[in-house]
Amino acid sequence: MAKILIPTPLRQFTAKQDSVTVPGATVGEVLAALTTEYPDLRKQIFTEEGKLRSFVNVYLNDEDIRYIGKDAAPAADGDTLSLVPSIAGGTH
Amino acid sequence: MIRIEPEPWAAMVAHARASYPNECCGAMLGAIEDDGKTVRQAIALENAFEGAQAARYELRPADLLAADKAARERRMDVIGIYHSHPDCDAYFSATDLQNSCPWYSFVVLSIQKGEFHHANCFLPNFDQTEAPKEELFY
Ligand SMILES: [Zn+2]
Repeated sequence: MAKILIPTPLRQFTAKQDSVTVPGATVGEVLAALTTEYPDLRKQIFTEEGKLRSFVNVYLNDEDIRYIGKDAAPAADGDTLSLVPSIAGGTH
Repeated sequence: MIRIEPEPWAAMVAHARASYPNECCGAMLGAIEDDGKTVRQAIALENAFEGAQAARYELRPADLLAADKAARERRMDVIGIYHSHPDCDAYFSATDLQNSCPWYSFVVLSIQKGEFHHANCFLPNFDQTEAPKEELFY
């Protein structure tokens, strides 16, 4: 069971809730449960091949999951997952 | 439609001028209502691009996460991202588009010779192929 913070523009896909709690023992299971419960969220976060979109980073509490085991990172009760985009740019 | 209140607008312009000749970047906090978006606070974030920053910016996701936390504590939402274009117009460049995210409004401030010149707002699409303008009031 972990809490997922939903970024403002994605709340239209979660019945306006700003956070959602779903079951799962790992980050991968939690994200799967989230997108099963709110299927419209799926294409916002995942590509058609089921990979996280290039601009989506997932944080477990304050850690980027890429550095703590990715999908396999354990999610305990009381943990918070955040979806944080990668953003950059320039003038050219 | 996005409206930026005077206080955050002044902070954004000051940040962009202070960062000149480099690009600056930050988060815009506020609310999305039926009649449009309102920016009530701007949070300056560090330009984390490694290399010359005169024509590039990069947001650290951890900084954006902190801005999101700050917004929630203040009962606001992160609704947009701003950055500056030193000595260039406020267009949405190919680099901007390729590194954008469809979740937010993107305000670009043109700073010419160190002074604010004009600004535009853009809404990038999902596939990062287009970013139509969003009506901006400041
Ligand atoms: Zn730019």
